[in-house]
Amino acid sequence: MSDESGWSLTESDPAVFTSLLHSLGCNTLLVDDLWSLDDPGLLASLQPIHALIFLFKWLGGEEGEGELQGGGRYDAEFPGFFAHQVVNNACATIAVLNGVFNVPSIPMGADLTQLREFSAGMDPLMSGYSITNSSAVRNAHNALSSSANSPFSIDPSLYDQNEKEDAYHFVVYVPVAAQLYELDGLRRAPVAHGGWEGGEGWLDVARRTIQRRIGAYPQGSLHFSLLAVRTDNLPGMEAELERARGVGDEQGASEIAGRVYAEKAKRAQWEFENALRRHNHVGLIHALLLGLAKSGGLEGAVDKAKGKMAERREKAAKGGSGGGAVEE
Amino acid sequence: MLSFKAGRCNRRGETNWVDPTPTKGLITLETSAEDGLLHFSWKNRETGATDEDLILFPSEANFLKVDNVTGGRVYVLKFSSSDQRYFFWMQNADTGRDEYYAHNVNGLLDDPSFSPAEPPAAPAPVASTSAAPEPAAPSGSSQPSMEEQLRQLRELVQSATATAGTAAGPELTLTDVITPQSLEPLFARPDLLLAIFPNLPADLPGERNADTIREVIQSSAFKASLRGLQQALNTGLLSNLVISLGLPPEAGTGVGPFLRAISEQAQSSSTENPEGGDEHMETD
Repeated sequence: MSDESGWSLTESDPAVFTSLLHSLGCNTLLVDDLWSLDDPGLLASLQPIHALIFLFKWLGGEEGEGELQGGGRYDAEFPGFFAHQVVNNACATIAVLNGVFNVPSIPMGADLTQLREFSAGMDPLMSGYSITNSSAVRNAHNALSSSANSPFSIDPSLYDQNEKEDAYHFVVYVPVAAQLYELDGLRRAPVAHGGWEGGEGWLDVARRTIQRRIGAYPQGSLHFSLLAVRTDNLPGMEAELERARGVGDEQGASEIAGRVYAEKAKRAQWEFENALRRHNHVGLIHALLLGLAKSGGLEGAVDKAKGKMAERREKAAKGGSGGGAVEE
Repeated sequence: MLSFKAGRCNRRGETNWVDPTPTKGLITLETSAEDGLLHFSWKNRETGATDEDLILFPSEANFLKVDNVTGGRVYVLKFSSSDQRYFFWMQNADTGRDEYYAHNVNGLLDDPSFSPAEPPAAPAPVASTSAAPEPAAPSGSSQPSMEEQLRQLRELVQSATATAGTAAGPELTLTDVITPQSLEPLFARPDLLLAIFPNLPADLPGERNADTIREVIQSSAFKASLRGLQQALNTGLLSNLVISLGLPPEAGTGVGPFLRAISEQAQSSSTENPEGGDEHMETD
């Protein structure tokens, strides 16, 4: 279901973000789940990482504008790109662009190039509007929205609560001019978190900042996820594999081959999920029910479904919470 | 196009008495592609024949509730320019939707380009299935006697208790009907599976087999579509969509009718096709 601006609801999923970037010409970029900030091996395998996206839902309600959980200070002189979030359904895409537009030398399509040039020198609000009004960006965003691809508008309440994009808040951490910046489309300005020295890199500062932020919330009150915007390393890995095979390094080759295989399997899974997001399922639903009827199984399935619903209602009547809501 | 279940009532001569007939029917309002005019038709759901087909010009008629029938759900199609009257009684299991249908009928009668509105949000519409009995034909006239009113009241109480169990919400959700477990009878039939694969996305990677279908039906995108279809069916306005699936228009009036129509579609296609490549036919 789109709001009046024409932006539909999408899921906060690495597959969705990656496909969004590719359709806008950023073919060298990937967005991946980052399960842990403490695992140096994991971080190394994902390098080069250009930006981190921290998405979270605070179960305690709206976060106050003034409180800067995790320290830092507002920097109105921020030299990079920063856009305000002006449309709720666009929040993830705005976050992704706030990250990508601050990474130097990233190949991107003509629409994004023009958008970035057009917003140079604009204040954050105007930049936000520019993105929101860009039909190229909006179309790329909506292409992966299940609701935009269905023949009828889907009430947002039908989505699994945890997957609703607008239930999450998005914050981008990106290094600009030797400082770590926190870009939050709902705050008045970017937040600066200082630089790094010695053997550290920006990721170390980011890790500390994010952990401090997470620690500021009561235990269990925060649902969050971390994504890494990084350069696709598959071509690099495949080249490495060639080299290892070329010099007869059996062990090295088989180790790299394992990683290449895992990476390709992940991409195939993303393609699978995205193909389903773009698809109109009505014909498939009808075909499945018809096939089930022909095989003699429809009546049984309907009876079981009625039984399950009755059970839920009973439980709800006794338990009191959740009502008749259907859980997956 | 608007469709809803309704029966007809016969008027006793010139009196004010109308006798409802129990025949299950369907009122449909539709702008005909042939003549571009609004047709108000009544189809006999038992024979499949369209026994009444009226062409109505804008503002020529109104669809009004007959108030003198206590608890009854009798409506009259009344013409502004003549004495003609057609009486109907609502056969939809959920009485809460009567007003919504009447409102939409009048909207279309006034202006055929009217967009039917969705039913009110609360309470959740009841999926009309075989578990909720269709209301008995009410009888009434413009001056019901005391005995008549008592009888109607008794009928009303009976039908109310019969539907009480389902009034709290939908009877089932399609996400429980289509699951890897429930589809096992289908997965056991490779011949039937062949008809499913063309409905998968053309750009879906991987092989076409039962495992793929298991994965697809458990995906968030598929489940969201299933819930969306269910919600849309509950509005009763999906007649056009279901026709494109080869189903009769009443299949678009709710989840129950949708599933029943598919069940019938499955039976009729196996009798239609004696030489169709279905080797399992003889064992059916």
